[in-house]
Amino acid sequence: MVFSASYIFQQIFNGIVLGSIYALLALGMAVIYGILGLINFAHGALITVGAFCFYFLFSVYHWPFILVIILSVALGGLMGFVLEAIGYRKLRGGPGVSLLITSLGIYIFIENAVKLLVSPQPYAFSMPPFLDKIVSTFITFRLIDLFIIATTITIMICFGVFVKRNKVGIAMRGISESVETARMVGINVNQVIVWSFIVASAIAALTGFMWGSKYGQIAYDMGFMPGVIAFVSIVIGGIGSIPGAVLGGFLIGLIQTFSIGFLPPGWTIYRDAIVFALLIIVLLIKPTGIMGRKESI
Amino acid sequence: MKMICSDGRLTIFKIWMPFIVGLGVLFLILGVCNIIVDNYTLHIITVIGIYIISATSLNLTNGYTGLFSLGHAGFMAIGAYSSVLLTYKVSLRGAYNLPLLPVILGGPDFQWPFLPALITGGILAAIAAIIVGFPVLRLRGHYLAVASLGFMIIVTTLAKGMRFLTRGASGIQVIPHYTNIWNVYTWLAITIFVIWRILQSAPGRAMLAIRESEVSAQSQGINLMKYKLYSFVTGAFFAGIAGGLYAHFARSIRPYEFSFFMTFFIVMMPIIGGSRNIFGPALGAILLITIRYALKPVEEGLGIYGLVELIYAALLIAIMLWRPGGILSRKSDSS
Amino acid sequence: MKTTLLKTESIEVCYGIIPAVRDLSLEVREGQIVALIGANGAGKSTTLKALAGVLYPRKGKIFYKEKEITRLSADRRVPLGITLVPEGRQLFSTLTTKENLRLGAYYFTEPEFKEELEWIYSLFPILKERENQIAGTLSGGEQQMLAFGRAIISKPQMLLLDEPSLGLAPLIIKEVYKIITKIKSTGITIILVEQNIKMAMRVTDYMYLMEAGEITIQGEPLKVMKDEDIKKAYLG
Repeated sequence: MVFSASYIFQQIFNGIVLGSIYALLALGMAVIYGILGLINFAHGALITVGAFCFYFLFSVYHWPFILVIILSVALGGLMGFVLEAIGYRKLRGGPGVSLLITSLGIYIFIENAVKLLVSPQPYAFSMPPFLDKIVSTFITFRLIDLFIIATTITIMICFGVFVKRNKVGIAMRGISESVETARMVGINVNQVIVWSFIVASAIAALTGFMWGSKYGQIAYDMGFMPGVIAFVSIVIGGIGSIPGAVLGGFLIGLIQTFSIGFLPPGWTIYRDAIVFALLIIVLLIKPTGIMGRKESI
Repeated sequence: MKMICSDGRLTIFKIWMPFIVGLGVLFLILGVCNIIVDNYTLHIITVIGIYIISATSLNLTNGYTGLFSLGHAGFMAIGAYSSVLLTYKVSLRGAYNLPLLPVILGGPDFQWPFLPALITGGILAAIAAIIVGFPVLRLRGHYLAVASLGFMIIVTTLAKGMRFLTRGASGIQVIPHYTNIWNVYTWLAITIFVIWRILQSAPGRAMLAIRESEVSAQSQGINLMKYKLYSFVTGAFFAGIAGGLYAHFARSIRPYEFSFFMTFFIVMMPIIGGSRNIFGPALGAILLITIRYALKPVEEGLGIYGLVELIYAALLIAIMLWRPGGILSRKSDSS
Repeated sequence: MKTTLLKTESIEVCYGIIPAVRDLSLEVREGQIVALIGANGAGKSTTLKALAGVLYPRKGKIFYKEKEITRLSADRRVPLGITLVPEGRQLFSTLTTKENLRLGAYYFTEPEFKEELEWIYSLFPILKERENQIAGTLSGGEQQMLAFGRAIISKPQMLLLDEPSLGLAPLIIKEVYKIITKIKSTGITIILVEQNIKMAMRVTDYMYLMEAGEITIQGEPLKVMKDEDIKKAYLG
């Protein structure tokens, strides 16, 4: 089977778009993991919340796009704040597995709350028409794809600058190295943790909009796989390394897209299994991941 | 119930007597239930029994050895599919596109009786556990969780993909109804007994030591991988049994049933019921399944789907925050 | 007469259930350098950690500027003007020199930080050279200076030093003590924990000798050292 150049580039482009979404999720998750040592499985639930919030405000109540985006993101941030205060703060410093279990419990709670309060059936998701425009050149894409990539790059750059220049950003890095030292030096660790949660959750809510736009459909369980894949991205890309997490996200986006685009049709269902097989391979060969720091697994 | 024997000698009294008496009492209760209780409730009691087997075996790995595995449903799936493929009625195989057995397994005219097929399912699950265990059990905490989750996803994906063997996503139906309340509870008694004995013995103490601190355990000369595998494989074997029992009870299995949610459902049972008590998982199973059967009609009646899982999650979060060891634990226990 | 800056009343500090420090009362005046000396395991570090808020006493009280701070956590003591240079320095080894200093001055705004940064660089010129170097790659002496810098950049009133000479070569130790004297001259009160009694004696105004969790002797260095037993035990 020979693939044309434009087909190959199309797949690469699509992979980057999907990878952008994963990278954003991985970024948020990696930040929380860095400062709390917590794999926040509930992160995936925020995708669902962001998507549905956008859906209702935009498609049902017809509020302006920019406003809806801001509100959805704000809702995500608010939920992050609430989750941290109620679910995680009490368990800080305890056995890591407790946090894991609780975050899974929170995920299931939110997923089923959405199922119950909204609908067990998927909804068709539509984005503002100006983003829906198709551009056909060497490759075909919609403006939403550019929006996704542009937003991702912007967030990445802002984040990179933030953690190098801003004192809270530097504090985040300090806390992820040693909470004890950070306290000793006088940093209000609680405050930094809360803000990290808010920002990471806000970003996750934004990806809900992106995911819905890309796939045209939202459902109560839409957040599960992306959430898990975000974790897999972190592990593959390198625990403790934010650039690694981002890299992992893009890598998996490309791999998944390629496995659909290049493998024979019968193999499509193996899309998720391939990702996990890759995870297990990485864990066997280089457990600290591609760009991993020293951390005992 | 004391977990560790105070004296090293095994006396008939300490071990076999409680088992036989317990078994006798259990069967007496079941016999009574059989007579006075209606079929639907018997159905529920059987389901509870199957899940107790699964939850108790999971707890050996997750609770007592401290290895947070999310792959249990994968082992159940292996047990389910294997035993079904062995016991499936020959005359129906053609119609349902299921393969006939190769000569070494009895030939095209043969279908296995239930018990050997069930045990084979368990053994195959155990073998899978050995294969998967080596790479995965070296990991800790969340890595182990996600890797085992990955294993489960791979198993279900294979079940979906290998259509010639498993009929893919449509699953297998018209499975012979071999499971009844008696064999389920016999297996339940066996499971609890075996796990109880393991915990009383040296391997069991090693597992507890591993949960407390892998580093200390190692420095005491405990071979980590050996005992982790021991617990993981035992858990998988009984999961396979539970899977086989489930398949021949529900009479229909599909890959998507053995999903993350089933694993998590089972994982919740010892956490809620008590992960350091041999009957904790059973309590959790009884609680969760009773809630499900009680509330499903409400869900359907009012159209509020997701209510049961919501309650489960709320219960789990509450336990994690306020009584991390589970219901049957002391307040001071951590999870 | 200088005012009392810090006072403890019969504090008892435990590791688990074992008391490491018993019935300890001490007093530190503004502008002094006070030393806690004694052998390994005497409880000096534990005392200092309780003063810093890293540990909490099970019994007794700690007063700072007349206010009780016994149960105040470490991060709340820093804004009050108490900072700690712990044993082993505890730098953020993955951050740069400048970033470490930034975190020492966490509550400052950027312009305030820039000002104080210049002051620190004037005290420790080598740090300016190593501004963007990762702290973990600095030499032992440079790390000690960075640890000092980070602790004093917020212009604390009281500086707690836990074994500042530990693990350093003798020449560097001399440098470190020169710095300690320099810091004192800026008006900062210092509480010093040291096993190296010779060096400590040279800079301190007042000493507390600790043995097995209790203060056995206290006084000005010359007075304390006149004791024949002490001389033999600690000065060899």
